[in-house]
Amino acid sequence: MAAFANILVGGVFHAAVLFLVAAGLQLVFGVQKIVNLACGSFYALGAYFGITFIQYATQLGISPWLILPGLIISGILLGFIGPPIERMLRSVYGRDESFQLLLTFALVLMFQDVFKFVWGANPRALDSAYLIYGIIRTGDFSVPVYNLLVIAAAVVTAAGLGAFLQRTNYGRILRATAENRDMAEALGVDVRRIYSIVFTLGAVLGTTAGALVVPTAAASLDMAIEFVIEAFAVVVIGGLGSMRGALVGALIVGLIRAYSIVFFPELEVLAIYMIVIAVLIFRPAGLFGRSLA
Amino acid sequence: MAISRRTLLTSAAAVGALSASGQVFAPAIAQNKPLRIGILAPRAGIAAAPGENGIRATQWAVERYNAQGGIAGRKIELVIEEESSPKDTIERFSKLVQQEKVDCVQGIISTGVGLALGPVVEESRALTIYWDGTTQDGVVEKIPNPRYLFRSTDNECEAIMSSLLTIKYWKGKFVTVAGINPDYSYGRNNMAAFIAVLKRFNIEHKVVTEQWPKVGTMDLTSHVAALKAAKPDLIFSSLLFADLPVFMKQAHAAGLTEGTKLVFPAAGWQHTLMKKEFTPEGMLFGHNTLYFANPNASSLAKEFVAWYEKTYKDYPEWEADRAYFAIASYKAAVEKAAKAKGGNWPSQDDIIDTMVGLSVESLGGKGSWRKDHIADQTFVQGLTTHKNNYDFVTLGTFETMYSTELQKPPGADFWEWIKTAQFKV
Repeated sequence: MAAFANILVGGVFHAAVLFLVAAGLQLVFGVQKIVNLACGSFYALGAYFGITFIQYATQLGISPWLILPGLIISGILLGFIGPPIERMLRSVYGRDESFQLLLTFALVLMFQDVFKFVWGANPRALDSAYLIYGIIRTGDFSVPVYNLLVIAAAVVTAAGLGAFLQRTNYGRILRATAENRDMAEALGVDVRRIYSIVFTLGAVLGTTAGALVVPTAAASLDMAIEFVIEAFAVVVIGGLGSMRGALVGALIVGLIRAYSIVFFPELEVLAIYMIVIAVLIFRPAGLFGRSLA
Repeated sequence: MAISRRTLLTSAAAVGALSASGQVFAPAIAQNKPLRIGILAPRAGIAAAPGENGIRATQWAVERYNAQGGIAGRKIELVIEEESSPKDTIERFSKLVQQEKVDCVQGIISTGVGLALGPVVEESRALTIYWDGTTQDGVVEKIPNPRYLFRSTDNECEAIMSSLLTIKYWKGKFVTVAGINPDYSYGRNNMAAFIAVLKRFNIEHKVVTEQWPKVGTMDLTSHVAALKAAKPDLIFSSLLFADLPVFMKQAHAAGLTEGTKLVFPAAGWQHTLMKKEFTPEGMLFGHNTLYFANPNASSLAKEFVAWYEKTYKDYPEWEADRAYFAIASYKAAVEKAAKAKGGNWPSQDDIIDTMVGLSVESLGGKGSWRKDHIADQTFVQGLTTHKNNYDFVTLGTFETMYSTELQKPPGADFWEWIKTAQFKV
């Protein structure tokens, strides 16, 4: 039973981080129709910057207990990179998807060099933060409280995003723009501004995910590419552009991965992509996506 | 100023005498032309950190050699290219040889790249010395009898040493064994070698789970849960990239490191990231061919470590030693071959022939080249301690072994050799 619980919590933790990155990807695609490969780079940037931010905060005498909110703040602060990058992406709006993919992939490579230039080639870690909040132990079951806090942060983000999109005027405007850009523009919506805000929000979801995960892991040059591949599996399963899809897709990927690692370690990747293939065959638009006519 | 015939003759005689003494070389040809050494090493991606270690050690060595007159009287110039995918690295190797006209190529960390490049090296007839990346798989088929290629010690040496030390320290104290190793030939072979040595010594054991995370996996919580569910007495792991400290951190948080014997032959690649906070004492920890804090280190090694610390605020790992060994043995071979030719610059074939059997002092200790062009080097592994002035673990008790005790003899099959080798435990 304890082993089952350990595996379950491991899977949900992975799903929580995946959801944050995939949610940013979904939001940007849903509204702007841009497949943003650079979402993985935002995730990596959040991780690297989170380390630096906490190191400075610690030097300034900030209590270690404030590490989690500190990391969230550092992720949000990085939102400033959203508008200039969105400005650059305007050149490929409405053009063939291959242009978008090439441009956002170029961003991935450029970010990788920036990380190397600023933080060096060595992996960077934030060691002192992970266990500061303690570990819950019951018999053979144990989980660091930090992992639970990250899961909670993802749940709150999911609920907050849902409420924002469904229940606020701004959310309705976003959905209307996603639905029909020209009509929204004709009705007086400043679409450029909406795009800039949506892209920044998507970037902040990625940077915050990276900042939150770094105490448990390490920031490395390859983490962007590593994570974006899984995020795309989430998007395919959940349906491109669907926030509910991102949540369910992340849970499916996280849990399938966790259980296959335990029971069929050789088939970890196969198990995930079997689901992806099944979805593509039987429900090409994803579990919650709308089929493109 | 006019030079008299007497002055000219005196000078010529003095130069000749110095040349003959072997202290200063005056090759008959190209004395003013720099010696060009091509370096192929990763500077980005998962192996960027060891790549930088190797490059820095090479640059340190070159700076010293140039201050002393270079190699056999020729100053050294480095031409550094990136090691990346096999295809791209082969193209850069060809560029180094054909366009840059380098005299020797050194580097290579990845086994996959090394295997693909091997036949190209032979075809190009360009003297090449690998730093690393020499697991057993595919070597016999792809590079059976290399003439121009010199390869590092077998990558499985560290697993053999860890296996022997496991038996020495913990025989009779474990039964259930789990593995978490990177999912490529290095990880697979190391785990298989560990089990093969246990069998060789009739050590009762039962493998309860084997985990194969992809290199660079940063969330290992599910792997840790799987290991915990298997309740092993001992965990063997050759994780060695950024995933290693991540695993330790997550394993520590899950309570997996308490009471479990840990055997990590390759942990030294990330030694500065193995913080005391989550890396326990008493773990079997491999530093491969360079343990930076070795109290028995040579003055050369101590000087290098001090320079590295001062320059980079960091401590070197074994790839620095591999790179130093490559350039030091090349220098020694060139100078020995030049001396044998009376101070004339030796041919590439002369240098190759001189390399075989040559022994040099590397940063981690003695190193030499076998007749099959495979290196023998000095390995260090031991049990971790927190008793030091760093924030990461170092070794308390440790052992040093020369690779003649750890790698198969020329021509032998590795797996068959394990079954019959006379290991010293």
